[in-house]
Amino acid sequence: MNAPPSFESFLLFEGEKKIVVEQDTKVPNAAIFTVNKEDHTLGNMIRCQLLKDPNVLFAGYKQPHPLEHKFILRIQSTPAYSPQDALMNAITDLISELSLLEERFRDAVREKREGLE
Amino acid sequence: MSKSKIKYSSSKQFIEESRNELVLTEFEVLNAEATNFPGNHYGYDDTWTLEKFKKKLKINIIRIDNLEMEFDIIGVDPAVPNAFRRILLSDIPTMAFDRVFMFNNTSIIQDEVLAHRLGLIPLKADPRLFEFRREGDEEGTPEDTLEFELKVKCSWNPSRTKDHTNPEDLYRDFRVLTSHMKWIPLGGQKDLLNSDAVGPVYDDILIAKMRPGHELDIKLHALKGTGRDHAKFSPVATAFYRLLPQVKLLREVEGEAAERLQKCFSPGVIDLVDAPSGGGKKIAKVNDARYDICSRNVFRHEDLKEDTVKLTRARDHFIFYIESTGALPPEVLFVEAAKILSQKCRVFLDELKSGL
Repeated sequence: MNAPPSFESFLLFEGEKKIVVEQDTKVPNAAIFTVNKEDHTLGNMIRCQLLKDPNVLFAGYKQPHPLEHKFILRIQSTPAYSPQDALMNAITDLISELSLLEERFRDAVREKREGLE
Repeated sequence: MSKSKIKYSSSKQFIEESRNELVLTEFEVLNAEATNFPGNHYGYDDTWTLEKFKKKLKINIIRIDNLEMEFDIIGVDPAVPNAFRRILLSDIPTMAFDRVFMFNNTSIIQDEVLAHRLGLIPLKADPRLFEFRREGDEEGTPEDTLEFELKVKCSWNPSRTKDHTNPEDLYRDFRVLTSHMKWIPLGGQKDLLNSDAVGPVYDDILIAKMRPGHELDIKLHALKGTGRDHAKFSPVATAFYRLLPQVKLLREVEGEAAERLQKCFSPGVIDLVDAPSGGGKKIAKVNDARYDICSRNVFRHEDLKEDTVKLTRARDHFIFYIESTGALPPEVLFVEAAKILSQKCRVFLDELKSGL
């Protein structure tokens, strides 16, 4: 059988890096991040969060091919800070967003369960 | 109602609506794309802050039991519920039969078809107690494997008579069900796991049908895996979300037209109530649009399609449904999904920090 091994979608190959950063030489303050072994789940969420930062001028992502387990994220920011900082801020915000969501969800479920009993 | 026919009293009203609602018209859906980005609308501050998010975020549980739940997530971006949906479908691990050792199969169902059917049986076993089996390991250890045995032989029913035609009376064990499966605890599993907590979710899943003389002798290994690898590992039958539908009546609809209007929507969306003017006339009133399927049937009626109803969907109100296969309860699945998602974010952040 020629099926690719099942771990290919989530395990990094030997010597493969999770994130590769490349400066965009055509415009100032822009960078292209290639993220390996991630897909739309994270890509779309990060892009969405980046767009809510007033210092981000452009944020977009693509999955170049459905059989290649990676996505490419391009960020351009204002000179106030670098694309790397913007990305880090966005992910930190996302983490706090998710932990709040989880906490609220747990509370809501507990209340509902108590109400049912 | 086409795009040009919607009238707005001011541009402020137009912007307000495009930020909050999707409008369903006869042939198109308006405001489908998000526009609430910083600097996009004058007079709005769309910058993300945790305080604002805390204020906006609401979660309401509508119904919940051990297999299904329905709840509302209000005040988030579409990317968030979608990430949760994707993780629920393909990233939460469960246990499923992955290795089938066929010692004897004289039934008419082929080995590979039978193995595939066995793989799809939902198993009750907490995947958090197990590890992934290492690549190349064929034997398995008690930490990563659940072993089951399926030994069934079909025979004639000794008490059958010539008048019997029903297979129920003629044969014994002609239906191979999940209840025929026997769990064989490996190593210390007997003390760690409760035998009620391990096994197929349902006892009456039909695996194969046999006739006298047919026999199955199979050993099964259930392994931990994710839906990304194979759909049998997916912990949900389905997980999906939709936006909250809203129906607004723009004028009074009475009599026969009201009845027609009611039929254009899902049951319970439109109520017929007595007209305030009296005279036994009924007028239409919106009761609850939540369970409307947004069929837009109303636009098929010439007299109802213009300036009668406005169909919209709330942009940031997600109705989320989780239907578990039974391995884990739905609320646990959602919490697991949240953990996996923030774990992914953390790995990403650490990688970024170390790379700079």
